[in-house]
Amino acid sequence: MVAILGRGNELITLDGVSKRYPNGTDALRDVDLEIDSGDFVFLVGSSGAGKSSLIRLLIREELPSSGRVWVDGQDVVRMRRSAVPKLRRRVGVVFQDFKLLPRKTVTENVSFALLVTGHSGEEAREETERALALVGLSQRREHFPDQLSGGEKQRTAIARALVSRPKILIADEPTGNLDPVTSWEIIKLLVRVNELGTTLLMATHNAEIVNALRRRVVHLDHGMVVRDEREGQYAA
Amino acid sequence: MRRLEYIGTTAAQGFWRNPVMSVASTFTVGLMLLLFAFFLATDRGLQAAVGVLESKVELALFLEDDARVSDVLALRARIEADPAVSRVDYITKEQAMARLLDIAARRPDIQIIDTSSNPLQNSLEIKLAHAQDAPRVAAALRQEVGNGVVSDIVDNPQVVDKLLTVTRVLSIGGLAVLAMMLIVALFVIVNTIRIAVHARRDEIEIMKLVGATDWFVRWPFILEGMLVGALGAVAATVVVLIAAGPVMNAMVGFIEILPLSFGTTFVWQLVGSVFALALAVGGGGAMLSVRAHLAK
Repeated sequence: MVAILGRGNELITLDGVSKRYPNGTDALRDVDLEIDSGDFVFLVGSSGAGKSSLIRLLIREELPSSGRVWVDGQDVVRMRRSAVPKLRRRVGVVFQDFKLLPRKTVTENVSFALLVTGHSGEEAREETERALALVGLSQRREHFPDQLSGGEKQRTAIARALVSRPKILIADEPTGNLDPVTSWEIIKLLVRVNELGTTLLMATHNAEIVNALRRRVVHLDHGMVVRDEREGQYAA
Repeated sequence: MRRLEYIGTTAAQGFWRNPVMSVASTFTVGLMLLLFAFFLATDRGLQAAVGVLESKVELALFLEDDARVSDVLALRARIEADPAVSRVDYITKEQAMARLLDIAARRPDIQIIDTSSNPLQNSLEIKLAHAQDAPRVAAALRQEVGNGVVSDIVDNPQVVDKLLTVTRVLSIGGLAVLAMMLIVALFVIVNTIRIAVHARRDEIEIMKLVGATDWFVRWPFILEGMLVGALGAVAATVVVLIAAGPVMNAMVGFIEILPLSFGTTFVWQLVGSVFALALAVGGGGAMLSVRAHLAK
């Protein structure tokens, strides 16, 4: 119903979403959330607050126990299994542990996302160049992951997430494994990606970054949204 | 094209990156296919042998020398009325002697010393449409012995009976062994592909994350399974072609004078069946394995 009553600019909508795991843990409880196109949203909360569960619902790695989830106008809960790959091509995701393939170069890691979704080699090459230029890794394109610093690995992961030109970029603790200086480089990059038009949802523990940027902050606690502020702070 | 290239390259990489398991499963599949080929060839050979023998199945009724022609004709008419009987020939004692002399002329181990008298009898030779009916027809005719027309009855379908029994036992036993081998081969392929899936689990995770379809994830593994199957089929076919001649000779020597020769059509059917089974087992096993992983 939220989608019908909404303002029409929402890219992500959660309507009364709850998630209970088979072991009885309530990861999310009756969560209502709308994220507009072009937003930069911090998802904060302690470990186990439900941030990762929420992200998994958005890319349909999991289904909610109740409630509805819309992403880019699509009902994620009711979509057929065969429609899931197309959803994931519109939602880029980066993780704390980078998830790079060690035997592939930077270029191969990035172009992989296009090649396995049926793009031609030519297309993959052009888009990979563009994505690597955007994250500032053109000079390191032939390096393997173990030849890169932590920040460079994360920038490779961001390039891979962006190479298919998604509408939404979800970053799950992207700075969790990085030192403060490198973390700031990554955040600046994500801000730039957002300024170029990609909606950004970032789960983080990093209070300094959240407080410095003063963007929208959604605070989860025990699976519930306890705070949702336009120019929020990590702690109330 | 790019997709096909990716799928093909990944499948080949999967095979070579895990050589021990790949070779082991190829060997198992090859062994299973060899058994399958042997089973097919033996079954076909025995069927041919039964066919040949069936066309020769005869019951011979030896007639009393003093039997009246009218009684013999009546008996012949009765026999011909049986639907299991395809033909009845009246053979005179002179024709029988001529036949015997003809056989003796071609076989050095038989010598006819005295041809001045003919101890042979007139007879009715009965050809049956199907070997299975021989016992029943023979039993019915055996009651005619001693009635003044028929002096004796000779039947040779015991050979066919034995052959039919052997065929049945081989069919059932062969199918049972084949089924077991099939399960073993499937099990080995499922495990080989499971190892390949495990080795590439990170890649699969990323593929799913960036929106690759399930089929795109599955195909390299299915192709790898089919590659294992195809290599097993090549090995089995080579062994069959090399061993076919000597084995066939041994079989012909063993069963004696049965015309066991397979035409090229059968050889192609055999090779086609072996490859079809190989690809089905390889692809099917891989599909089971990767499906289980994707369903997690």
